[in-house]
Amino acid sequence: MAIGRIGIYALLLAFAAVYLMPLYVMVMTSLKDIEEIRQGNLLSLPESPTFYAWVKAWGSACTGSECEGLAPFFFNSIRIVVPAVLISTLIGALNGYVLAKWKFRGSELLFGALLFGCFIPFQVILLPMARLLATLGLANTVTGLVLVHVIYGIAFTTLFFRNFYVSVPNELVKAAQLDGANFFQIFRHIFLPISVPIFTVTIIWQFTQIWNDFLFGVVYSGPGTQPITVALNNLVNTSVGGKEYNVDMAAALIAALPTLVVYVLAGKYFVRGLTAGAVKG
Amino acid sequence: MGSLTISNVTKTFGSTEVLKGINIDIADGEFLILVGPSGCGKSTLMNTIAGLEDVSSGQLLLANEDVTDRSPKDRDIAMVFQSYALYPTMNVARNISFGLEMRGVPKAERDRKVEEVSTLLQINHLLDRKPSQLSGGQRQRVAMGRALARSPRVYLFDEPLSNLDAKLRVEMRTEIKKLHKRLGTTIVYVTHDQIEAMTLADRIAVMKDGLVQQLGTPNEIYDDPANQFVAGFMGSPPMNFVPCEVAEDGSIAIRNRGAVVSLKVPQSDHLKGQDVRKVILGLRPEMITEPKPERSGEWIVNMTMDFDVTEPMGADTIAIGEWNDVEVLARLSPEAGLSAGENTSVQVDLSKACLFDPKSGERVR
Repeated sequence: MAIGRIGIYALLLAFAAVYLMPLYVMVMTSLKDIEEIRQGNLLSLPESPTFYAWVKAWGSACTGSECEGLAPFFFNSIRIVVPAVLISTLIGALNGYVLAKWKFRGSELLFGALLFGCFIPFQVILLPMARLLATLGLANTVTGLVLVHVIYGIAFTTLFFRNFYVSVPNELVKAAQLDGANFFQIFRHIFLPISVPIFTVTIIWQFTQIWNDFLFGVVYSGPGTQPITVALNNLVNTSVGGKEYNVDMAAALIAALPTLVVYVLAGKYFVRGLTAGAVKG
Repeated sequence: MGSLTISNVTKTFGSTEVLKGINIDIADGEFLILVGPSGCGKSTLMNTIAGLEDVSSGQLLLANEDVTDRSPKDRDIAMVFQSYALYPTMNVARNISFGLEMRGVPKAERDRKVEEVSTLLQINHLLDRKPSQLSGGQRQRVAMGRALARSPRVYLFDEPLSNLDAKLRVEMRTEIKKLHKRLGTTIVYVTHDQIEAMTLADRIAVMKDGLVQQLGTPNEIYDDPANQFVAGFMGSPPMNFVPCEVAEDGSIAIRNRGAVVSLKVPQSDHLKGQDVRKVILGLRPEMITEPKPERSGEWIVNMTMDFDVTEPMGADTIAIGEWNDVEVLARLSPEAGLSAGENTSVQVDLSKACLFDPKSGERVR
């Protein structure tokens, strides 16, 4: 029994170490100066920790011809992600509410078609979407990127909310109808308050997807609207003199930080939300 | 104020006809119960009254106004659901007042109404709780409170007691009856429990296959069923059905303990001249009892029966014998039940015997 326990924990610790190793190397490397990195000791602690690389990655590293660091792109990403997440989540909530509780002729078919949207590879829509954005005059704009992400996200957000709302008893809708509530009042007073877990799941999912997106970001953005993923790529590929691994690592960590923070803050609710349908509340 | 007329209502889902033309007149203040086996259309009828389902054809009049095409909220009807359907994130007070809130009733009046209803139902101490913190019986009361708060013209109850345990069910049954006496509002109540139906109803509508088989007072339904289905559905233990031959003189023959007994029933004179050869005799178990010397009359017959099994139920004992190779239940007093076995003397009261056509199941009168 005790020996079995020890074995299990040893194995778990070993796996955790394997998974955390890259993060450890990144953090350590970002805190070293370039001389120390050249000595080639990846796993050692920094001799004299310095935030030089972080400061440079944020404020003055070169991403192509400009040398303003990641900061402007970080805020580009924020400006894309926040509206795209909120809009796609709200539309998904409404869609899911209708598809679960206000079924109409063909609603199942529509849901099936929407599901299909989850399986369309990004590459397939690159050209048609570029044409569409050009026609709408949204090429190379933040609005255009938000639109692309909203459209692409609706399939997933609708799926999440629909499956969550299907488990809500129909009698609740009937009772509210008899109480005199209309379509939106039922959504607002009955469904929204019970939706906290599924909102958390959807927001985390959408935030991660859109923040980490590179392909749409590189294709549909212009010089002033590139998201941080594109800038990170440019930063790593631009070298002035030697390669600054510490700056690259710091930049990668900066780019990954928001999703990490979201998971740490809301991860508990994420797991809870994923299993919420399984338990009657 | 709250009379309800259901006229020629039909409802089809795709190619299935769930309601095949329902006609019921419900008087103001009446307590009407819809009973029937599952799938008979009683819940669908309830939903069409509430406006949650559209009718395929027919008309619904509420207080002589046509409400057929009105949305649920404009019908002034409240409903209590089997699952209670309490709003899970709202506390009891808000659950009760939500309907008033949606109708734009001012806060002060809503509070007054919550106070009034919760006092009536004795749930004042629960007002701040969420539904998940309530027991089954408390949820039931809150669900009723929600319906009461709006003072509608008609209450609909959709199997409200079937999720409660047996003891609580009996308590709430009495409470609902008291409540109806006190409020005097029209109630339409769906159940599949025939005891609930008998005890609560002013009138009962027995439904089967989308049709009303019979509409009448509990006594009419019990003593004078329209057909074999109604007779078998109402009553526990159920009515005995014995297939019998009809003799020339209109009497019917049963084989009991190997001997054929000829029984004269109230319908015999009528049957005499007719070409009816086979009928099903319907006789309630309480019509076969231990001999009661004080009782006599044209339709009282004394005979002996063999009972294979006796089932003591406390107040009386059910004894199971056989006529014409069919099980026959008798309802004996506990004392008589003790000694029931082979060759037991019984008294049969045929005054309320029903005869049914073996093919159609309709009454032969």
